[in-house]
Amino acid sequence: MNPMIRKELRQRMRERRAWLLPSLYLLVLGAVVIVFYMTVTTRPGSLEIAVQGATLGQGIFLAVAYAQLSLLLLVAPVFSAGAVTIEKEQRTLAGLLTSLLGPADIWWGKLAAALLYQGLLLASGLPVLALTLAFGGIGPRELGIALASTAIVVAAVSAAGLYFSCFFRRSVHATSVTYAFIVALTVVPLVAHAVLASLVGRVAREPTWLPYAMAPNPFYALSVGLFGAAERAGPWVGSLAFFSVLFAAAAVFAVRDIARGGEQA
Amino acid sequence: MIDARDLVKRYGALRALDGLTLSVERGELVGLVGPNGAGKSTLIKILATLVHPDAGAAAIDGFDVVGASGRVRALVGYMPDVPGLYQDMRVRELLEFFADAFRLRGARRRAAVEGALARAGLADRADTFVEALSLGLKQRLFIAKTLLHAPRLLLLDEPATGLDPLARIELRRLLRALNGEGITMLISSHILADLEDICSRVTFIAAGRLAGESAAATPRSLTCEIELLGDSARALTLLRERADVRMVESAGARVAVEVTGGPEAAAALLRDLVAAGCAVVRFDPRGGLEERYRRAFGGAAMSPRP
Repeated sequence: MNPMIRKELRQRMRERRAWLLPSLYLLVLGAVVIVFYMTVTTRPGSLEIAVQGATLGQGIFLAVAYAQLSLLLLVAPVFSAGAVTIEKEQRTLAGLLTSLLGPADIWWGKLAAALLYQGLLLASGLPVLALTLAFGGIGPRELGIALASTAIVVAAVSAAGLYFSCFFRRSVHATSVTYAFIVALTVVPLVAHAVLASLVGRVAREPTWLPYAMAPNPFYALSVGLFGAAERAGPWVGSLAFFSVLFAAAAVFAVRDIARGGEQA
Repeated sequence: MIDARDLVKRYGALRALDGLTLSVERGELVGLVGPNGAGKSTLIKILATLVHPDAGAAAIDGFDVVGASGRVRALVGYMPDVPGLYQDMRVRELLEFFADAFRLRGARRRAAVEGALARAGLADRADTFVEALSLGLKQRLFIAKTLLHAPRLLLLDEPATGLDPLARIELRRLLRALNGEGITMLISSHILADLEDICSRVTFIAAGRLAGESAAATPRSLTCEIELLGDSARALTLLRERADVRMVESAGARVAVEVTGGPEAAAALLRDLVAAGCAVVRFDPRGGLEERYRRAFGGAAMSPRP
């Protein structure tokens, strides 16, 4: 086992947030389920229109999946963007760089530790997400797609955060830029899509390429593949391909920066 | 052991190293002195493979620090000017982590960790968190960590910074012992007395270049500060007559002279002054390194008196 992973996990699990964060995470997901359920079922006339179990199940599923991705996008910079900068701030980076650990070992150790912890959060939310199976309208396929999409998006965002951590000297800068990057990923495709849609609005049929403008949006990546429409498979794959490329690019640049990191050590 | 030729390193417009050449033989304990910004830390970082030179080349035991950095790291132990340790790890955990980072396995790993604990005198504190250790103990732990993979060359950048006098004495003793075991050392320090005490050779560095070298730190030339009671004329006459004494400074009852011939000559001078009836109230022979440093970089050899 890469010694960096063992060290990182050991240090991480000693922190108070190691148990505090999963607790808060589950509380928020639980609250989302309750609030959504109460909102739908206590709406005036909801009994008359007979909210179907499947509709309720899909609604709760989407709300929890979005909430889960939102929480993980909030948490990802905390674990990734500070991973290397903290070594610079504590003056421990030189010890790593002068050991026989290569830049790729250091990068992988840092990333794996961050992802394992976020994987723990994702896994702890699984029972809440799976609860919706009981309502119908949701099957193991949707569950798998949501989990895979969330995992890929979070891994890519964490890799980007880790790259910023290698680039900047201070955690506060790396974390701020990572959050700004996530906001940009969320907002820019929405704006771009809206602008492009208005430009081509006069055309009778929406061009097939238009949905791809939304590909870098993390929430689009999560939801576009759900609920079966075959025509959505392309944009979903395109979105996941975008995040895979982001992951690979961030990895290459981060390893390069770690190799050159002696001047910041 | 170290062969650095024409090293150049620029940080923007600043030339931290400007064609520096340095050679250190196996088993030597070499001091590196110079003013702040002279390029000492940059040189040590290049030798430790942390920083790449812009021009020139450096090799450790024949391995290029850029082209064969992995081989170099296996040979070198590096201690930076601010040695960082993971405060939230236990002493043993920290040593085990670095043993793993140097790819030590099985019995060799266990022996290295136990040996490091014993060397640092921390065997009974193996389960203590690093943050609970004193600065002196942290320094010992860092040195023990640096020695885990049995390096043949130690690069120490200001190792005595922040240590109290007892810890400094202990550090000198440890470094001497390690040098006695055959470990070559290059030590950067502003504490000239420490270097004079332990180094076999001291190299001066200024503005990124070699500014001079003393063949042996064992002082053959001493600067003696002498304070006399009453009339100093007799003492001055005696001092001027001696062939092994060169007057540096004379102000009232205080005299500074340079004595060639090492501690023996200084002792003979004191004996002669006392025998001649001079009332010597203070006789302070200082190693020649301070004087050589003054000559190399300017400034006063004698500290101003109140």
